[in-house]
Amino acid sequence: MNKQEFLTRLRLGLAGLPQEEIAERVSFYHEMIDDRVEDGLTEEEAVAEIGPVEAVIRQIVAETPLPRLVREKVKPKRQLRAWEIVLLVLGSPIWLALGIAAAAVLFSVYVVIWALIAAFWAVELALAVSGVFCVGAGIVLLCQGDGTRGLLGIAAGLVLAGLAIFGFFGCKALTKGAVRLTKTIALWIKSLFLRKEKEQ
Amino acid sequence: MDIQLKRGLLDVCVLAAIKNEDSYGYQIIKDMKPYVELSESTLYTILKRLELAQMLTVRSVEHGGRLRKYYRITQAGLRRIEEFREEWQEIVLIYQFVTKEDRNE
Repeated sequence: MNKQEFLTRLRLGLAGLPQEEIAERVSFYHEMIDDRVEDGLTEEEAVAEIGPVEAVIRQIVAETPLPRLVREKVKPKRQLRAWEIVLLVLGSPIWLALGIAAAAVLFSVYVVIWALIAAFWAVELALAVSGVFCVGAGIVLLCQGDGTRGLLGIAAGLVLAGLAIFGFFGCKALTKGAVRLTKTIALWIKSLFLRKEKEQ
Repeated sequence: MDIQLKRGLLDVCVLAAIKNEDSYGYQIIKDMKPYVELSESTLYTILKRLELAQMLTVRSVEHGGRLRKYYRITQAGLRRIEEFREEWQEIVLIYQFVTKEDRNE
């Protein structure tokens, strides 16, 4: 990929960010490529050293806060006409409600994910506590001379504790997965604002 | 490395790279390369942050028929490096404590 191609794709990928910021980012990479070429590299080598343009775009989008993307998206490209403002106000019961509903759906997705994680950890805690309790109860029964039930209690306790140890790693992996999932969702929401901008 | 810790360290690294003389993006990356790999987008974010914090100033200079941005450290930037030197003493103490615990085990 040559310099022009890289910069064009970068500019397209960043559409949706404020204009000044796109210009500044692009000129930053422009300078970076030119300086490498001056250092003796070819344009292609210089671009290759900087890395895949998709990765660059992804990192920039991930670093840009969502409110900034939304603000840029809703900022009118021109002065609104009077009738448009009237329509906006009259239509507010509809678009406001729809907007709130969309936000509520997204919020509920987050809640569902994290409620699931909370449920798994609750099971994990229950296993650990009941395991310890059973072992304790088994020891008490043994001391009281009730050998069979005492041993049974200890055995059950050890099984529960074993499950708890297994479960702990499962819960940890699930929590990590959920963090990654919520990050992916956030990135996806951001990309919605970028993609729509490009189609216009 | 812990992201927060690394972020703070890289900020000071970039300040150090422009401490003695004004420098530009690619030069900063080249100067830091033997010590720490820095990607362009990371450098951009750091430079922005330092500029906002008024630890450096930016100016465009004509170079070979094009413009190149040069970064100059400010008093606040120099102070940040000094602060880092002092903080480092604390970090060295913490490091000694951590490795001492290791030996006792």
